Amino acid sequence: MLQVVLFNVTNGLIIGAFYVLMALGLSLILNLSNVINFAHGNFLALGGYTAFVLTPYIGFWGALLVSPFITAILGLIIERLMIRHVYRRDPVYSLLLTFGLAFIIQDLCRYIFGPNGLPLGVPDAMAAPLSQSLFFITWYRVFNVTVVVLAVIALFSFLRFTRVGVRIRAGTLDLETVSVLGVNVGFLRSFNFGLGCLLAGLAGVLAGGQIGLNPNMGDDLLMPSFIAIIVGGVGSLTGTLIGGLLIGVAAAVTTVFWSSGSEAVIYIIMAVVLIIRPRGLMGEEGMLT
Amino acid sequence: MTAMLEVREVSKHFGSLRAVQGVSMSVAPGELRAIIGPNGAGKTTFFNMISGFFPPTAGDIVFDGEIVTRRSVTERVMRGMARTFQITEIFPELTIRENIRIGAESAAGLKLSLWRSKATAAAVEGRIDELLGLTGLTAKADRLVGELSHGDQRSAEIAMALTLRPRLLLLDEPTAGMGEQETYQIAGLIRRLHRDSNYTIVLIEHDMRVVFNLADRISVLDQGKLLADGTPAEIAADPHVQAAYLGKAEE
Amino acid sequence: MNSATTSTPVSERGGIDPRWGKLAIIWLALLTVPLWLPFLGGYTALAGRVLVLGLAAMSFNILLGFTGVMSFGHAAYFGLGAYGAGLALKYVTPSTPLALVCGTLLGGLAGGIVGAFIARRRGVYFAMATVAFGQIGFYIAYTWNDLTGGYDGLRGFVRAPIHLGFATLDITNNSTLFYYFLLAMFAGAVALQGLLLGSPFGRTLLAIRENERRARFLGIPIDWHIWLSFTISCVFTGFAGSLYALLNNFADPMAMHYSLSGEIVIMAVMGGMRSFWGPLVGAAIFVVAQDYISSMTVNWMSFVGLIFVLVVLFFPRGLLGMFQRKEAA
Repeated sequence: MLQVVLFNVTNGLIIGAFYVLMALGLSLILNLSNVINFAHGNFLALGGYTAFVLTPYIGFWGALLVSPFITAILGLIIERLMIRHVYRRDPVYSLLLTFGLAFIIQDLCRYIFGPNGLPLGVPDAMAAPLSQSLFFITWYRVFNVTVVVLAVIALFSFLRFTRVGVRIRAGTLDLETVSVLGVNVGFLRSFNFGLGCLLAGLAGVLAGGQIGLNPNMGDDLLMPSFIAIIVGGVGSLTGTLIGGLLIGVAAAVTTVFWSSGSEAVIYIIMAVVLIIRPRGLMGEEGMLT
Repeated sequence: MTAMLEVREVSKHFGSLRAVQGVSMSVAPGELRAIIGPNGAGKTTFFNMISGFFPPTAGDIVFDGEIVTRRSVTERVMRGMARTFQITEIFPELTIRENIRIGAESAAGLKLSLWRSKATAAAVEGRIDELLGLTGLTAKADRLVGELSHGDQRSAEIAMALTLRPRLLLLDEPTAGMGEQETYQIAGLIRRLHRDSNYTIVLIEHDMRVVFNLADRISVLDQGKLLADGTPAEIAADPHVQAAYLGKAEE
Repeated sequence: MNSATTSTPVSERGGIDPRWGKLAIIWLALLTVPLWLPFLGGYTALAGRVLVLGLAAMSFNILLGFTGVMSFGHAAYFGLGAYGAGLALKYVTPSTPLALVCGTLLGGLAGGIVGAFIARRRGVYFAMATVAFGQIGFYIAYTWNDLTGGYDGLRGFVRAPIHLGFATLDITNNSTLFYYFLLAMFAGAVALQGLLLGSPFGRTLLAIRENERRARFLGIPIDWHIWLSFTISCVFTGFAGSLYALLNNFADPMAMHYSLSGEIVIMAVMGGMRSFWGPLVGAAIFVVAQDYISSMTVNWMSFVGLIFVLVVLFFPRGLLGMFQRKEAA
């Protein structure tokens, strides 16, 4: 029994970690630029596939380091080329844009790499389990969670202590004032978008090592990311963090009693939060986003 | 005679920021009251509380004898409080006539209706024509409001506010950003509303010529507090008011 | 000058277009489809698809184009309409009218419930919530295997002939007759929408679109009106969905997936969201293009995505939008 519980809790932590990573990137982009990045799951896939391409040359560790940045750069280019033109217009346009991009990127991946799953090589040492009895906890899984924790700490530190980070946070609250103070809003938005994609790319590499690569790999994480943001409160990064953890754990715990209900419970949590605290757990009232 | 609007010791704190502190005001029916003060004096925050945007931290707002402090914007509107905004709030992609029609139908209780009887339609359209005439916009009635001059947009906004037959008209910087000609146009409209139609009007203004020309009484706010309150002559002579404005560039 | 004699329509720029010439052309084209479509390589079912999705897009546009509210999860109500109709035909009784009623009710009810959850939210938050709620529908559709047939979809039902007392319309086998049946249903729904949007209620929705704050200060209860607009839009979308089930004799989870939601949005935008007939035109272009492209290449998804991107960047006002007067700055 303990094994079952541990199994599910571990899964919950892993899933929760991925939800958090994805949701944070999505939330960053949403908060500053008022854009729902429907293509976020596809940036995740790009990260994974980039790692796949790079691994033969620079190994797994090299790919892990480099792929997220390449994904970030790709995101930045797309933002500069296309998304920045529609910020000033009705928000429906930016949504449609990322929507279309999602289709394109997914199909591109399918075209280049084929529709079937591809493996992403992980160092053998990591594929080994922690111990005989805890066979389901491989070092790789521990590694995943560790990386996510480090990434989250790095992100929050970045936003707290660096100049760009502080500007992003200020911009989230009041973009007009920030621009009046002389900050280049265009650059800030591009950078922010790239940052969000960096997180997605990182998630992609990690996920690739876990479940393999396929063009749809990001899809299953997109909806939970939305819900993590809604539950945590739009406009609050900490809220997103909590939201992601909450639904990840809830999903895992539910699997113990109701094996196919993990997805359902996430929707139920969302509905409950919308009733009793519509702005989300840590959302601000009047967050008109 | 009951005051049309009575504000009792109203304050608004945003955390440690005290935007408005213990301001009181009493406006008689048919009076035109101007609220003036340097930038940042808390005038718009004050207005926002009167019109129901957010509740005061302390104090009460009494409208025609009824305490409305906690009432929503819609409730105050339906009770007869109309407002215009510093940045003209209109329906840009519709014509003036259509803009006014929305207000007129809302006032006639037609918000959810799927059709209008001939009689109602006639009444509504008649009211629209009446307001168009009052504001001098008849000739431009079928042009898109977003394409018109500042002055015309403001006049249209005032016309919309009037559709609800308000007992109190709140005008937030009606001549903001306007040149000579347009200021003259709007001031003239406000005078007509005040003298001919006997509306009770409270307005925030920076243009002193408009203020001293139109107002029955003036209230001066500075740093969230009421500095002075009296007739234009009294205010002009008040040394505290002069001190508050000294060195502060207006317009 | 007496310009407002009837309760009609706000003119072209932001609302319904009463120009009879345009109406005549559209209806003439629609009525004669079985005559000219085959010559262009099309088939009647394709036209039926255009009508059904066009209706869905027009229904959706009540919310987007006329009330100014963004929903990216509208396919859910479309799908619910399809499942409602299919389930009624399969498990209750082979009656087309009943199927239509069931589908419409299911879509409308769901819309009312979801709307109640989110009517106070705005902007992208609202849009996100609509997607999430929409996916609930998708999830239920593919997990509740026993009822809905899971991923394979709901099968085993066919549209039933309609008994009118004096005659029986064999819409089951006669595809041309079925096309005209669809057209009649479409006409009815669209007439109702026109009536709605041209009424004082419709004008209130326009006010909300144009300037929510001003509308509130004119005494219009915003949240309540948005809920109404949302629910009404979902009722019509559900109706379109039930017609879809009749068209294909089939209902599947993809009819509820958010990708279809996005397609509905692009149809409305592509045709011109500020115009009443815009979404229908957009649907026609999109459906035909998609049909053609998917028969040409397996990478049709890229092209569909490309359509989205091109429309947003270069044709944001849509086809009919280009004929309208220029928007105010």
